[in-house]
Amino acid sequence: MIFARTPFRAQFHEMCAKVGVDPLASNKGFWAELLGIGDFYYELGVQIVEICLATRSHNGGLINLQELCMLLRQKRKTDREAVSEDDCLRAISKLKILGSGFEVISVGKRKLVRSVPTELNKDHNEILELAQAQGYVTVDEVEGRLSWTSGRATDALDTLLDEGLAMIDDGHKDGKRRYWFPCVSSISSSVGADI
Amino acid sequence: MQKLGDFKLPQFFNYPPYFTYSPALSAVVAHALAHYFNVLHSEMNWVEDIPPQLNLLVSRPVRDTREKQVQLWKDFILDYCKTQHIFVIELEEEFPLFSNPVIERSLSHEARKAFLSALVTEGRAEWLDKGHRKCLILWHRIQDWADIILRFVKDNGLEDGVMTIEEIRSGIESRGTELHGIDRTILMRALKLLEHKGKLAIFKGTSTDDEGVKFSV
Repeated sequence: MIFARTPFRAQFHEMCAKVGVDPLASNKGFWAELLGIGDFYYELGVQIVEICLATRSHNGGLINLQELCMLLRQKRKTDREAVSEDDCLRAISKLKILGSGFEVISVGKRKLVRSVPTELNKDHNEILELAQAQGYVTVDEVEGRLSWTSGRATDALDTLLDEGLAMIDDGHKDGKRRYWFPCVSSISSSVGADI
Repeated sequence: MQKLGDFKLPQFFNYPPYFTYSPALSAVVAHALAHYFNVLHSEMNWVEDIPPQLNLLVSRPVRDTREKQVQLWKDFILDYCKTQHIFVIELEEEFPLFSNPVIERSLSHEARKAFLSALVTEGRAEWLDKGHRKCLILWHRIQDWADIILRFVKDNGLEDGVMTIEEIRSGIESRGTELHGIDRTILMRALKLLEHKGKLAIFKGTSTDDEGVKFSV
């Protein structure tokens, strides 16, 4: 199927954008059916939902786009051409149209895909951005780098913990509690590169 | 992928938070309620026995994450013990799964006990002592071991035969089978189960070495 080829898809969307056409607006129509656009993104959407559900108990329903893409590629072993992040975003925007509650949010340099109705406020976002450096934060770091009171820091962290977006780590030898955020890093990137 | 010997380690093993087990939140309330209901706190398996009243206090996402953590560790322990033919885990001894030197994390005593207790509750393990320091791991359930023994009997034409306990677990016929090196306690349990079903009779010799079985399969 020609639409399965990444370079074609990228060019196709670029062309549509120039002309002001949204190929995803409808599944029907001659071109959509000929090119199999709808099927491709529908299938991708279903797989994205599956991945989000499968990883929810680990990341609380927030997953970074890069990791989602990687898991998607692993899932779609039959694809000769890799799925791009843009493809994921398009599939997700289709899911949005269907009212599924999926959302893509930007936190710092990353894009995160949210599949639960959790609302994140500015404080939560700032903590997530801070966590991108090492995958975790400590209360001291949050207070120090963001100049917050300790109450404000623990409140925000407790909420993120409650929502399942943060995981507690009390095992470091310095005795300081660390709040890890699975959504800002994949498990494999939290250890050194030689693993 | 990180390996332990030739055992492929799961990804969560490299993520520090999975080494922290904290019944946090409502631990105080749980304790109070436990006393109210006259149940010893140590017998309450946190995840499985959580009283309905407390479910409201532990939010759904936190419950899910904690349950997932317990499930991952349970599966990991069973998997590892099965492939490495390990039958007993001693909590206070060094056990490769309980620490990951690469990320410098170890499971606390409480965490080890919690995960093993979860296996016990599921019938996949048993405490060998009152102090809960030694745990027998049933990566095959006793019933499964009984089936394996029956298959062993048929494979070796022992339907009416006699064999000592030691021969079953270390004799020539056992080599290459899962019975080779099986823990004695587990073997005896499986044999007793089969005896109860009339498939064999256990008889004692003059010493443990002579203990044997007369099959009637």
